Amino acid sequence: MTDAAFSALGSLADPSLLLMLAVGVLAGLVIGLIPGLGGTGAVAILLPVTFGMDPEPALAMLIGALAVVHTSDTVAAVLLGAPGSASASVTMLDGYSMARQGQAKRALSLAFLSSMAGGLIGAVGLTLAIPLARPLVLSFGSPELFMLTILGVSLAAVLSRGNVVKGLTAGFLGLLLGLVGTSPTTAEERFSFGSLFLSDGVSLVAVALGIFGLAEIASRVGQRDVAEKPVELTGGWGSGIREWLTHWAHVIRGSLIGIWAGVLPGVGATAGTWLAYGQAVATAKDKRTFGKGDPRGIVGPESANNSVEAGDLIPTFLFGIPGGVPSAMLLGMLLTYGIQPGPAIVTDHLDLMYLIVWSFAIASVAGAFLCFLATGSLAKLTRVPFAVLGPGLLVIMLLGAYQEGGQIGDLWVMVALGVVGFLLKATGMPRAPFLIGFVLAIPMERYYYLTASLYDGAGWMLRPGVLVFGAVLVVPVLWTLVKKLRRSVGADDGHRDEHEPDDAPVDELEGSMAGTGWSLGLALATVAVFAGALWASTSFSDEAQLMPQLVAVCGLVAGLVLTWQEVTIRRSRAEVAPDDDVHSTAYDVGAPASSGSTLLATRPVATEPDARLAARRRDLVIAARTFAAMAGFLVLVMLGGYLAATLVFTPAFLLYAARARTRTAVIYTLVLGGVLLVLPSLLPVDLPMGILQ
Amino acid sequence: MTVVVAYADTPPGHAAVEAAVAESAREQEPLVLVPAVRGEVPPDVAELERRWPAAAGRLEVERADLGDPSDAVVQVAQRRDARLVVLGLRARTPVGKLVFGSTAQRILLDATCPVLAVKPAPA
Repeated sequence: MTDAAFSALGSLADPSLLLMLAVGVLAGLVIGLIPGLGGTGAVAILLPVTFGMDPEPALAMLIGALAVVHTSDTVAAVLLGAPGSASASVTMLDGYSMARQGQAKRALSLAFLSSMAGGLIGAVGLTLAIPLARPLVLSFGSPELFMLTILGVSLAAVLSRGNVVKGLTAGFLGLLLGLVGTSPTTAEERFSFGSLFLSDGVSLVAVALGIFGLAEIASRVGQRDVAEKPVELTGGWGSGIREWLTHWAHVIRGSLIGIWAGVLPGVGATAGTWLAYGQAVATAKDKRTFGKGDPRGIVGPESANNSVEAGDLIPTFLFGIPGGVPSAMLLGMLLTYGIQPGPAIVTDHLDLMYLIVWSFAIASVAGAFLCFLATGSLAKLTRVPFAVLGPGLLVIMLLGAYQEGGQIGDLWVMVALGVVGFLLKATGMPRAPFLIGFVLAIPMERYYYLTASLYDGAGWMLRPGVLVFGAVLVVPVLWTLVKKLRRSVGADDGHRDEHEPDDAPVDELEGSMAGTGWSLGLALATVAVFAGALWASTSFSDEAQLMPQLVAVCGLVAGLVLTWQEVTIRRSRAEVAPDDDVHSTAYDVGAPASSGSTLLATRPVATEPDARLAARRRDLVIAARTFAAMAGFLVLVMLGGYLAATLVFTPAFLLYAARARTRTAVIYTLVLGGVLLVLPSLLPVDLPMGILQ
Repeated sequence: MTVVVAYADTPPGHAAVEAAVAESAREQEPLVLVPAVRGEVPPDVAELERRWPAAAGRLEVERADLGDPSDAVVQVAQRRDARLVVLGLRARTPVGKLVFGSTAQRILLDATCPVLAVKPAPA
């Protein structure tokens, strides 16, 4: 095993691999700055570039990006008070305060060094996990692997933000989408409605970029310009570095918490970072300065949010359970290379694992180093309003999604999923289980049929591994029930919950329409979708029918429970504020913000003033316009080809939607057009052709 | 010196305010209420002064920068250099004590000043 480790390090000496790693790091740093993208956006945008590459350079680039995405997102949080991602908002609490006191460099150096340490410790954790898990993983047969896929989806659903029913519904929806295409056992076409394009299945990049990327663009494009002046970059670097060394305990604790959070499926960087912050506060005797510029509020969380990404990789590669959304996409990518997670990786592809470890470690160090050097320019980049970035991102994302199959249909699917993703986000339904379900759908079915054909009868269910995983499945469900019980019994909740005070949401859209007509409509729509799927699947053969029917039935149950929850919320809200017709609540009443629970133990949360509801409506209108613009762009593409469409769309968008200056619009368009012209000669990239071309 | 109260809109929370009012009456100390229940609306000062007129003019509501209620109470107590933290307890069954956590317990353990724990008067 050590020779595998060192041979992987040796392979990194190959300049082409190093180059890919460097490209990944640079891309990750830039993508980390852009609000809303994060690790998911980084992997989704870079994934198309890796098509046609060998797994080694592809992984080097993707891991390089993933490792540093949380290093650069701190810059906007600290200097502007505008965190780009939810995990950066934790660092913002103390980092921004510190910066405003004239110690921006101190805050940033603490953050960068912690990120680097978090990445390194995460890589170490990953290294240690391999030999520890190896004997376990090698004992897995297809029954255990099957249980693991179920575990992956359900844990992601249960552990993610928002209530369990929403998570499960999202998971089942994702599973259903993953089943579209050809059945792995009988080669029948399922849910393809006669379309040749759909019979190939839905493309992973289209789903990921649509649900996460396009939804983020649509929700952020309406943001007004960043009004804040960035804080002056004052102070010295040296003192920050020396001070950092004194907080080594927090660094280690934060990193370990992050690894643990990463290992739990569906628990991502955000939760891990908040956990680390909570622990830092809990273990501090003197809590006075937290929130006002306490270094301990930066060091632990920043280490955590980098090590989470490493922790995510542990269950993903060793067990096949995605630890988070970016690693779910890496899993999908490996599956296309024919590399099965679990036993196969540990035996045949051990060198790949060690390549990942080394890439992560090197990228973390390089990323921190680059951030130190380039803080000034990074800070300038964060000032660009999102509306200006929007068209460029859109063009790149759509192009990326096109690469997988060369079908324009993929792009339409992407836009449609963008609308779905936006609605999911707005009504507070978690999207991570959706993607994880999508990635795991076919493997789940494959392992099931493998098990069914290898083991007669139901004897496989009594295997110890299967029973253990079954128990693991049940425990989180019980845990959330206990948590719900705690909240309902009353005031003294007591459960240490480190999340921010409810009145400081990072992303105003997230969950803002939970409990409204929209969420009820969405719940009803999911019921309709599952019912339709159930009906459609009756026409498949028995074998091809099993999985879709199971998913549809479970999804139907989940959807019905969700609908009942929504109805109850609306009814209880009507009771609570019958005379309050001036105000209307767009947040869940009574329960903590993200829970859709119907339990009302305390008085209602502050009712929303009219202005906020109007803001929600405004967001909806802007999003609708953005999606319409995206559709219009696709029509242009179908007519005139990608280059022409971009040259028309970009200035139109910039001038009308982003209100940019004419000069900006012209330069931007020319640059973008130039990039598109040059790109096919640099990378194996195809541009969609139009009818008129 | 200041007296800090871990406030909730419940009988134990009200009992805590009463005790704090009594405690701070002699020196007429400022009384700082910290909402100690996640998700509850912070109380309105005017309304509080109506309920406890003995504390009129000295009452404040302060929210800390921390999300966890027990941490918030301790933070405010430390920042305001409080001489006392008052919190309300309610009776729990033995199982209740085991299964459910306790904000009160954490305040007791973490606070750096004396803590007064009171129970509401029996109904």
